[in-house]
Amino acid sequence: MALSERRIARHARQLLLPGMGEAGQERLLAARVRVVGAGPVAGPALLYLAAAGVGTLWVDDPDPSSEADAGAWIHPPDGWGRPRSAAAVEAVREVSDLVEVGVARPGARPTAVLVAGAAQEVARAVAEEARLLGLPHVVADADGEGGAVTVVPVGAPCYACAFRAGHGAEATPAATAQVGALAALEMVLLVSGSVQEPAARRIEVVRGQPVARATLRLPGCACAGVAARLAP
Amino acid sequence: MIPRARIDIRPFACPLTWVKTRIALERLAEGEALEVLLAEGEPLENLPRSAAEEGHRLLAAEPAPAEGPGAWRIVLVKGAPREEGI
Repeated sequence: MALSERRIARHARQLLLPGMGEAGQERLLAARVRVVGAGPVAGPALLYLAAAGVGTLWVDDPDPSSEADAGAWIHPPDGWGRPRSAAAVEAVREVSDLVEVGVARPGARPTAVLVAGAAQEVARAVAEEARLLGLPHVVADADGEGGAVTVVPVGAPCYACAFRAGHGAEATPAATAQVGALAALEMVLLVSGSVQEPAARRIEVVRGQPVARATLRLPGCACAGVAARLAP
Repeated sequence: MIPRARIDIRPFACPLTWVKTRIALERLAEGEALEVLLAEGEPLENLPRSAAEEGHRLLAAEPAPAEGPGAWRIVLVKGAPREEGI
């Protein structure tokens, strides 16, 4: 999928980053990312994924927006009560006409999945589904003044292997934005191929300070079997 | 050495001048040459330096008055791929 002159101009500085280049930008353009969640963590992530040149975004969050979404960047007060997905689609279209964006539909086939700010049981279920489908995925959740972003390349130790309970405090608006933006960056690195051999890792942000840990497979975790089967 | 490809980046401003050149270089094999038509001033000062920083070699640089006022022609030879990634 060759880059148009407009895309080259739009992403000029990103094209110059180490590891990106035309090939990486083309991989972003070819990517179809399903984003589960369209609240305060997902809002910045969606905008940055669009700005980075991801070709297709499918937003998956049927819940209505509310005052709790005030920090989401994509839900202005006059739209509260509308389904978050539809509002997010409109917000993304406003910042970029170079992205195909729509509400996630059953049967659509994404190439990667971002879980952003979903409830813990939803995050686990979607991450497991992505793993079984052989899709790279990123899971982001905000927590107090920080949060965590878990990156799971195909065949790598899974989200459950990486999981550590947070303190469960209500996230501050800046924390949700920070974690959402970090999740978008990690997804861009994963999908563009900028990192030659991406490793599973969990980045925990505590009061603005990020700490990255490589994910070690939990003994006996089911993801070992599938990883072995996926290996070339 | 006969250039494998030729681009004219005079319509563009920084950083697109270098972006266009870099994309054209990416499409070449190591050791192949790229001819770049550019404007004197900032592009002529910066482009060869950016190319050198990424391991490419400046083979020639000369005014190209037949292409228009202020036009220069440079030839870059693609260097070995760098270790990329983060």
